[in-house]
Amino acid sequence: MTAETAPAPVDSPGAIIRQRRISLGDPLLGWGVRILSWIALGAIVLMLIDTALNSGKLLEHESIWDFLTGTVWQPASVIYGALPFVYGTLVTSILALLLAVPLAMGAALLVNEYLPPRVASPLAYGIELLAAVPSVVYGFWGILVLVPFLRPIQQAIAASPLGAIPTFSGPVAGPSYLAAGVILAIMILPIVTSVARDAMNATPRLQREGALALGATHWETIRHVVLPFARGGIFAGVILGLSRAIGETIAVLFVIGNQPQINASIFAPGYSLPSVIASEFAEANQPFHPEALIALGVVLFVISFAVNLAARRVVGRFEARAGGADVR
Amino acid sequence: MSVEEPEMAMAVEQIAIQVRPRVDPTPDLDAVGQTVPSMDAAIDVQHLNAYYGAKQAVRDVTFTARQRAVTAIIGPSGSGKSTVLRSLNRMLEVVPSARIEGQILFHGIDIYGREIDPAAVRRTIGMVFQQPNPFPTMSIYDNVVAAARFNGLVKGRAQSDELVERSLRQAALWDEVKDSLAKSGASLSGGQQQRLCIARALAVNPEAILMDEPCSALDPIATLQIEQLARDLAQSYAILIVTHNMQQAARVSDDTVFMSVDEQRAGYVVEIGPTSRIFTNPLNKTTEDYITGRFG
Amino acid sequence: MFAEQVLRSTGRGRRGRERLVMILCLLAGAISILPLGLVLFYLLVEGLKAWSPAFLVSPPGGGITTTGGGAANAIVGTLMMTGLGLLIATPTGLAVALYTAEYREGRLAIIVRTAVDLVAGIPSIVIGLFVYSVVVLTMHHFSGLAGAIALSLIMLPIIARTSEEMFKIVPRRMREGTMALAMPRWRAITSVYIPTVASGIMTGIVLAVSRAVGETAPLLFTALGSSFVVTDLNRPMSALPLYMFQNALNIGFPAARERAWAAALTLVAIVLVFNVLGRWLASRTGTRLK
Repeated sequence: MTAETAPAPVDSPGAIIRQRRISLGDPLLGWGVRILSWIALGAIVLMLIDTALNSGKLLEHESIWDFLTGTVWQPASVIYGALPFVYGTLVTSILALLLAVPLAMGAALLVNEYLPPRVASPLAYGIELLAAVPSVVYGFWGILVLVPFLRPIQQAIAASPLGAIPTFSGPVAGPSYLAAGVILAIMILPIVTSVARDAMNATPRLQREGALALGATHWETIRHVVLPFARGGIFAGVILGLSRAIGETIAVLFVIGNQPQINASIFAPGYSLPSVIASEFAEANQPFHPEALIALGVVLFVISFAVNLAARRVVGRFEARAGGADVR
Repeated sequence: MSVEEPEMAMAVEQIAIQVRPRVDPTPDLDAVGQTVPSMDAAIDVQHLNAYYGAKQAVRDVTFTARQRAVTAIIGPSGSGKSTVLRSLNRMLEVVPSARIEGQILFHGIDIYGREIDPAAVRRTIGMVFQQPNPFPTMSIYDNVVAAARFNGLVKGRAQSDELVERSLRQAALWDEVKDSLAKSGASLSGGQQQRLCIARALAVNPEAILMDEPCSALDPIATLQIEQLARDLAQSYAILIVTHNMQQAARVSDDTVFMSVDEQRAGYVVEIGPTSRIFTNPLNKTTEDYITGRFG
Repeated sequence: MFAEQVLRSTGRGRRGRERLVMILCLLAGAISILPLGLVLFYLLVEGLKAWSPAFLVSPPGGGITTTGGGAANAIVGTLMMTGLGLLIATPTGLAVALYTAEYREGRLAIIVRTAVDLVAGIPSIVIGLFVYSVVVLTMHHFSGLAGAIALSLIMLPIIARTSEEMFKIVPRRMREGTMALAMPRWRAITSVYIPTVASGIMTGIVLAVSRAVGETAPLLFTALGSSFVVTDLNRPMSALPLYMFQNALNIGFPAARERAWAAALTLVAIVLVFNVLGRWLASRTGTRLK
C-alpha cells in the first residue's frame, strides 16, 4: 500500500496532459471580483451625477455666476450667495497652514534628527494619535477650552496698536476665523508632520555623509542637503494638510461663529462651506434652501477635487525626481 | 563554438538503450539525434529557441530526457539552463515578454499544442525551485495535500491521509514529521522544507519532476539527502535537474546536457551524453575545458 | 588653506545657530504634542465626572434639556451602522484590490482604482450629501441603512488601498509554487494569498473602523439621529458621534454638556483602542500606512 518510491498508477504516459478540466471556481471568482468592482464604480458615478442634478435645481432660481459671487446668504429672504463660505474656507485653511506647517517642520526635524530614538518614537506616535481623535471631540473641546482661552488674547491684540490693521481689528466675540484656524492646524499637524518625516528620511545617506565629511554642522547639513531633497515631499504633505483642512466640518462648526459674512479681520466670526451645510441642512425649509446647500456641497467637492489632483501631480513629480536626486 | 554533427549523433545514440520505432512518429526529423527513437524518452526537446522580448536567451536546443533516469543540465551562469527547464512545464510563458519556438514533446505529445491546458502540463511535469517555498500559512499536512485536493485527486479524509503518508515517504520526510503534521510548513529546516516541496509535487501524481538548482540554498548534509532522493525517485519518474555544481551532476545524473553561452549571450547545447562519458571522456573541447575548470 | 578655514569657521556663530535651531525644534515639538495632552486631560477630568457604566446601557431620558440619561441609542446605532458598513465595504474593498492587483485588466481597473481613490479625498460631509441624494431622497426618509452606506464609503478606500498593497507584495516564489502545482487561480488566491496577507488586510479593516466610528458629518443627513434605541435599519438611528454632537450643540444646558463629555470619553476610548490595535498590526506585518 505505501510503497516507498512508486507513484500511483496511471493509464498511459502523458495521458493527463490531454485532460481539459473545467474549473468553476475561476470564472466565479473572476466575475465576482469584476462585478463588485464595477458596482462600486457605478455607485460612485451615480452619486456624483445625482448630487449635481439635485443641486442643479437651484438654477431655476439664480444663475451659477450669481451664486458663486453672491456675498449675501439669507435663506429667509431666499437669497443664496456662496462667497462668504468660500472666503471662510479659504481663510481658515490658510491660517491653519500658516500655523501648522512651521510646527510640523520643527516637529519632524526634532523627531528625525535631534531626539534620541527612545524619546523620538513615543513623541512621533503621540503626534500621529492626534489624527485619530474624532473631529466632534476637537470641536467640543474647542468651544469649551480653546475659544475662552483665545478670547482675551484676541481682544488684547485688537485693542493694541496692531488692531489698526484690518486683519487684527475687533470687535472680538470669541468664535472666529482664528479659532477655526487653530483647531484646523491641530488637526492637520499629524499628517503634515508624518509626510515631512518620510520625505526627510528619504535623503540618501551618501549625500548626508558627504556634507558632514566637508565639515558642515548638523543644521547646515539639514539646511543644504536634507531639506532641498525633501522639498517635493514636504510640499505634498502641505497639500494633503490643505485638503484635509478644506473638508473639515464639525470642528470648525463649533468655533467659527457661524456668521455668513465676509470680514477682513481674523478675529471676526465667519462661516465655512462644510459647516454651513452641516448646521443648516436639518432645518432647510425655505424655497431652494436644500438645493442651495447641496450646491455648496458641489462647490466644496470641486475645490477639494482640484486640490487633490494638484496633490497627486506634485507627489508624482516628487517621486520621479527622487530617482535622479543623486545627480544633484 | 558549435558541435560537430557526427559527434552529436554518436552521443545521442549512446543515450538510447533500446532502439525501437516510436509509436507516434514526430514530423521534421532533420535534427541530428532524433533519428534515434526510444520508448524510454519522456521529454523530447527539438530545436528550442527562447526569447525574452527581442533578446534571444537560448538557441536551437535539442535533447532527450529519459523516463526513469536523471538528466542533469549543467553549464556556466547565463547559459539558459533555467530558461530551458521552465519551458518544459510551461512556466516560462508566465513572464510577459517570453516566447519560444520549437517543439517540446512529452511522450510524443506536443505540450504547446493548441488544445493543451498549461495547468494539465504542470500537473504532469512537476517542479521544485531553488528556494524552498512551502505555503507558510498551511500545516505540513495541508501543504502536501492541498494541490492534490484542489485538482480533485483525493476526496475525503482517508484518501488524503493516505496520500500525505505516501508522498512524504517518497520524499524521505515521513519519519521526521509524522508526529507533527499539524505544524506550519515554514517551521522546518531548509532541507526538510525542500523535501516537503518535493512531497507536495509528488502528491499531484506527476510523471516527471523538474528541479531548478534545488540544493543551492541548502547545507551540505541536506544537499546529499536531496541528491539521494533524486536518485531514488528516478526509479519511477523522469528527473531533470539543473545545477551549476559539476560534482553534483556527476554524482546524481545518468545523462548530462552541457550548455554554454555564445558571443551573442544566447545559450546553446554544447554536448549531450551519458554522464559517465561526459565527465571522463568528453567529445567536445569546450566540455573538457568546463569540466576541468578552465572556465565557468 | 581650506582645512584651516573650515576648522576656524566652526566658531561661535555656527554653533550658536545650531543650538538655536534645536531649541526652536524642541519648542515646535512641545507645542505640537500640547493639544493632545490638553484634550486628553480635559477628556479624562470632565468625562470621568459624568461617566458611569450605566451611561452605556441606559437610553436617553427625554429631550436634550432633561438631566441624566445615557447613550444606549448611540451605542446600538454605532454598532449596527458600523457593522453593516463593514459588511458592505470589506468584500467590495477586497474585490477592488484583487481587481487592480491580480486581475489587472487595463483601463477599467485603473478607472475603478482612481474612483475609489477619489472617494478617499472627498470631504465626509459631501459623502453624506451624496448618500442623501441617492438613498434618502429615493426612500423618502432618513434611515440607518443610509448611514451605513455612508460609513461604508468612508471605509472602502482604506480597506481597498491596504489590501491592494498587500496583494502586490505576495512573493514571486509563492506564485510560482502555486502555478507549478497547477492550482486553479481562485484556489491560489483564496487558500494561499489571502491567508498569507490576512493580517495586513485586518490592519486596513481595523483602521477603517477606527475612522468610521468617529465620523459625524456623513451621518447628519443620512441616519439623522434619534433619541430612541432603534434597531430597525429602516428608521433613523443615532450614533455615538451624532449623540455627542447633538448634546454638544447645547452647551447652555449643563446636563447636555455632561452627556457630551461622557460621550466624548467613550468615543475617544473606542477610537484610540482601534487605532492603536491597527498600528500594532501594521508594525507586525510591515504595512505602510499612508
